[in-house]
Amino acid sequence: MVMGKAYNTAKQSPLLFEDKSDGRPLFMILVILAFLASLTLLATKTSYFAAAHWSAQLSDTATVQIKPGEGGLSQQTAAQARGILLQSETVTDVDILSQEQSKALLRPWLGDTSLPDDLPLPLLLSVRLKKGQSLDQQKITAQFRQAGIRADIDDHGRWAKSLTRSARMAQTISLLSLVLIIITLVAAAIFATRSGIAARRKFMSILHQIGANPNYTARLFSQNFALKSFKAGAIGALGAYLVLSLLAVLARDDGGASLFLPSLKTGLTDLYWVASVPVGMAIIAALTAWRTVMKTLIAEIYP
Amino acid sequence: MNKPSQHTHSIHFDGVGLRYGRGEEILKDINMSLLAGSLNFITGPSGAGKTSLLKLVYLHMRPSRGLITIFGQDTSQLAARAIPKTKRRMGVVLQDFQLVDHLSVFENVALPLRIRGLKRQTYGEDVISLLQWVGLGKRLYAFPPTLSGGEKQRVAIARAVIGKPDILIADEPTGNVDDAIGKRLMRLFFELNRLGTTVLIATHNHDLIPKNADIYKLDNGTFALETDGHG
Ligand SMILES: Nc1ncnc2c1ncn2[C@@H]1O[C@H](COP(=O)(O)OP(=O)(O)OP(=O)(O)O)[C@@H](O)[C@H]1O
Ligand SMILES: [Mg+2]
Repeated sequence: MVMGKAYNTAKQSPLLFEDKSDGRPLFMILVILAFLASLTLLATKTSYFAAAHWSAQLSDTATVQIKPGEGGLSQQTAAQARGILLQSETVTDVDILSQEQSKALLRPWLGDTSLPDDLPLPLLLSVRLKKGQSLDQQKITAQFRQAGIRADIDDHGRWAKSLTRSARMAQTISLLSLVLIIITLVAAAIFATRSGIAARRKFMSILHQIGANPNYTARLFSQNFALKSFKAGAIGALGAYLVLSLLAVLARDDGGASLFLPSLKTGLTDLYWVASVPVGMAIIAALTAWRTVMKTLIAEIYP
Repeated sequence: MNKPSQHTHSIHFDGVGLRYGRGEEILKDINMSLLAGSLNFITGPSGAGKTSLLKLVYLHMRPSRGLITIFGQDTSQLAARAIPKTKRRMGVVLQDFQLVDHLSVFENVALPLRIRGLKRQTYGEDVISLLQWVGLGKRLYAFPPTLSGGEKQRVAIARAVIGKPDILIADEPTGNVDDAIGKRLMRLFFELNRLGTTVLIATHNHDLIPKNADIYKLDNGTFALETDGHG
């Protein structure tokens, strides 16, 4: 019984060994595919949210530009135009931009040169619309004409349309990549599991020979491969998350370009999104292992 | 409930024939009835079909014809889920040992208990004493690839007997050890047999067969009782 004390009888060693050499390349492939899948997943998610963000911003506003007429521009004309606009059912609010605000808008083009006060600047009205509604341009143009107001109405429709078109394209491409990567990832997880089981074929037969229930063996393999896939997925997903976070920090240092990178800054939600990658991989590996082992064992249970 | 003593016969063959693929029958019309708790030996020249006959007993494959009854159950009628259960009541030592290379000697021997869901604390000491008995007390942590042929054989035997099976099947269990160890290992089987286990051993070595055993001779696919140990 001296030996009994020497041998650690409390701890059960795992029945399935961690393969040192045969599974390595496959593990790396799973990690890389998980990395790509996570990146693509976040890119796809971003492309959808960003497009929604842009089009919402663009479609819910319009700009009315009142041109200086013969009698010059008066605040009175602006107020009159505002009144007409507010009568429209789709308009929620109208702001008259002050001369200062208008000048500020011109500054990027004209520089800091002080503009003469009598320079005929157009008056700008910023119009906020009800969600999802647009401005009835024809009606308002007619009303303006009746009131003797010369104005250009821009409801950003053309902008929104072309932006939507390119956003759609980005979405389609990233969604297509995501689908392809997920298919590859699923195939790789299935392949890795099957080859892992094939490498342990003899062990499986021994378990069967000494009377292990097929369920027992299937559970053993299932858990093992689920864990292995989860590990590969977690490393890949975490890697992708860190890379994106780093990119986001670098992009923020640039200052600008925030319009086009509205959600490049990664957050906790993104972590939830990429967590679906290892979880999904674990489920696929578990199911594959279960099916493969059960199929093999049932076939040879008493041939 | 299914204690072997309740059945007169542990193993019963009735007109059993076996052929591999489209080949000739290598077992022809085998009839045998092994009483529960009996001690039986099968001898015969190499290639006679001893291993094949044992495979039929431990449900490794089905016969081409005939009826096999184990523990009173017609094996061709066994439900899939009853097969592992029947197998758990048998201890098997094969010619090629079938050890798990990535598990230690201790873990290999503990395997039949572990798959039954037993906890390590309940069997750890038993496994160690058994391994000490077969002379492997110092090799508990060793892995099968580092063992000699005789040591592997002893691990396989320990694994077969650790669960105190109702039927013990051994194929040339002493083929790789010297006579002294061979006799010691045989005592393990006799001890088990004394406790009620039906023992069926295929061997070439007549010196190891005790006088009270039934000896069957397998030759040319046919089977005959050569020596009735009970007179
Ligand atoms: N899987 C198989 N497929 C085809 N033929 C086989 C197979 N296994 C065994 N045989 C053949 O069946 C015959 C009996 O083989 P078996 O292994 O049962 O003999 P044995 O009596 O155990 O011999 P030994 O004493 O050498 O172990 C042999 O002729 C062998 O070639
Ligand atoms: Mg043989």
